[in-house]
Amino acid sequence: MTNSLLEVRDLRTDFLLKSGRLRVVDGVSLTVEPGQALAIVGESGSGKSITMRSVMRVLPKTARIAGGSVRLDGRELTELPERQMRQVRGRQIGMVFQNAMEALNPTLTLERQLTEHLSWHGICGKAEARRRAIETLGDVGIPEPEKRIRTYPFQLSGGMRQRAMIAMAMVARPSLLIADEPTTAVDVTVQRQILDLLAEFKARGTGIVMITHDLGVARYFCDDAVVMYAGRIVERAPVRELLARPSHPYSTGLFRSTIEVGGRDRALAPIPGAPPDLAQRPPGCAFHPRCERAESVCRENEQMLLPLTVNGVSRGTSGRPGAVREAACWKVAAHG
Amino acid sequence: MVDVSDVAEPVTTERAASERPVIAAEHVDKVFNTRAGEVHAVRDVSLAVHSGQTLGLVGESGSGKSTMARLLMGLLPPTSGTVRLDGLDLSTVRGARLRQLRSQMQMVFQNPFGSLLPHYSAAANVAEPLRLHKRGDKAWRRERAVELLDLVGVNRRFVDHYPRQFSGGQQQRIAIARALALEPRLLVCDEPTSSLDVSIQAQVLVLLEELRSRLGLTVVFISHNLAVVERFADRVTVMCMGQVVESAPTEALFGAPRHPYTEKLLAAILPVTSDPLPQPDISWRSSPDQPSALVEVAPGHEVRES
Repeated sequence: MTNSLLEVRDLRTDFLLKSGRLRVVDGVSLTVEPGQALAIVGESGSGKSITMRSVMRVLPKTARIAGGSVRLDGRELTELPERQMRQVRGRQIGMVFQNAMEALNPTLTLERQLTEHLSWHGICGKAEARRRAIETLGDVGIPEPEKRIRTYPFQLSGGMRQRAMIAMAMVARPSLLIADEPTTAVDVTVQRQILDLLAEFKARGTGIVMITHDLGVARYFCDDAVVMYAGRIVERAPVRELLARPSHPYSTGLFRSTIEVGGRDRALAPIPGAPPDLAQRPPGCAFHPRCERAESVCRENEQMLLPLTVNGVSRGTSGRPGAVREAACWKVAAHG
Repeated sequence: MVDVSDVAEPVTTERAASERPVIAAEHVDKVFNTRAGEVHAVRDVSLAVHSGQTLGLVGESGSGKSTMARLLMGLLPPTSGTVRLDGLDLSTVRGARLRQLRSQMQMVFQNPFGSLLPHYSAAANVAEPLRLHKRGDKAWRRERAVELLDLVGVNRRFVDHYPRQFSGGQQQRIAIARALALEPRLLVCDEPTSSLDVSIQAQVLVLLEELRSRLGLTVVFISHNLAVVERFADRVTVMCMGQVVESAPTEALFGAPRHPYTEKLLAAILPVTSDPLPQPDISWRSSPDQPSALVEVAPGHEVRES
């Protein structure tokens, strides 16, 4: 069997607090293939950003990877010395953030920010780096890239800044792009342009992990999705299947909370309560205090992430090879 | 200037003739003087919101919608034109009278953390407007603050925590509780749910819907999220580069948009359930240097000529 581009197995990450260890990513497994996009859906505090920061090993000082494996092109990253990890970040993984103004250095021109790591990592010489930077700025739809490369971030509009950040992530031609809420801070018309731009890189073979809470964005852009709640994956499915027939009550709740144009007649059914404080994680299924279907078993024991099957045949994957449909819930009837 | 009593109604609606709007802007312009020169943020905007109605104000960043909110609240003086609360020109009111008027109009801002006092607990933040307006005694104000926080879904156990100890969603709830403390008639919400998680956003909208009908609030609801505006507003005004390009009852605007910019906004929506996924891309460039007129194309439905 060939290696996936990214293969995360049973990843666990802890925050080290005065009061003790707090597990914020708890047994997450996911796979990304070249040219495919995976959506990580969930609310703030669900651990979606920390999961991907664990993959890149760019965690806050108080966080530690407690176990599990992260393989990029078959190479284990969790045990790599920091020096080599830096090479991996520079060459193989690109990252795009929500807020371009915070991600870009306001005191450096785009040229410095786009070329610095290319020469630093010895990917190419300065002249070649500049040529590549201009080419990438053109790729992301920035007009007159030869001129714009000399500008500072504040001289660009919000949409252009977002593009510049994508250019910075893509200039080394990484095989994996991690996009953390890349369109949350931009206008709707710009959102489409940014997603279409990312789709071009995807079509060229870049594997993409998109962290988002916007189901519309996930549906438009991604192939597969995992839904996270309280540090764990509660459902995994092809995006379209997930939206057509969410099976975990939390996924259903997210779906029913989503407001969409033309949906004025649909009653809004928000999930009651708020995501749990992980320091006081509810026993059993972490979602049970907010779940209308919860029974005594949910309050006592946690269900594993299990495939959805009917008579042993996996269901709801639209027949796409490699597509998986799983949920972690006692109340999902069709568990094996 | 004309006498207050015989000023013509600025916007034609079916109700305008019979009833005075709670809040109205009449030919409002706002020019900011910056180092880079003059920025014409709002151009000749007229709008009116009647008692118990909700006006949605939509547009992209830089369209002038937040400036408009501040103008309506009397937080910024218009360069020209008039803003009236209950027919009263806000620019003619000062001091104690203005403060008294402000208790009737409250605002929920885009950035909850920036709008809360960081060194005040949640309860103290909510009690602050009550204290400033000398309502009740200290114990009553605290009790009222805890009630309001409970109403917006902030657990009693956390009322003595400070804003930075709350998530963004919880902070926004605190800001909403504070805005409701003085039982205002007019609530101006500037992107109130944009920073919230999906499930929390729905909770807050349901809460606002409930409060609106229970308290008979008149609301100006500013958002770039068209779905939220469609759900929440009776009437929608679309702004682009400081101008109103279209203004219509919500159903008409979403069902039969007339201005290319409105169409462009609607076409950019990514649907969650409905098929097919939308087609790009109607290109329309605004040309603010060539002013054109708002034309009434149907009763209460106005479009700027393009």
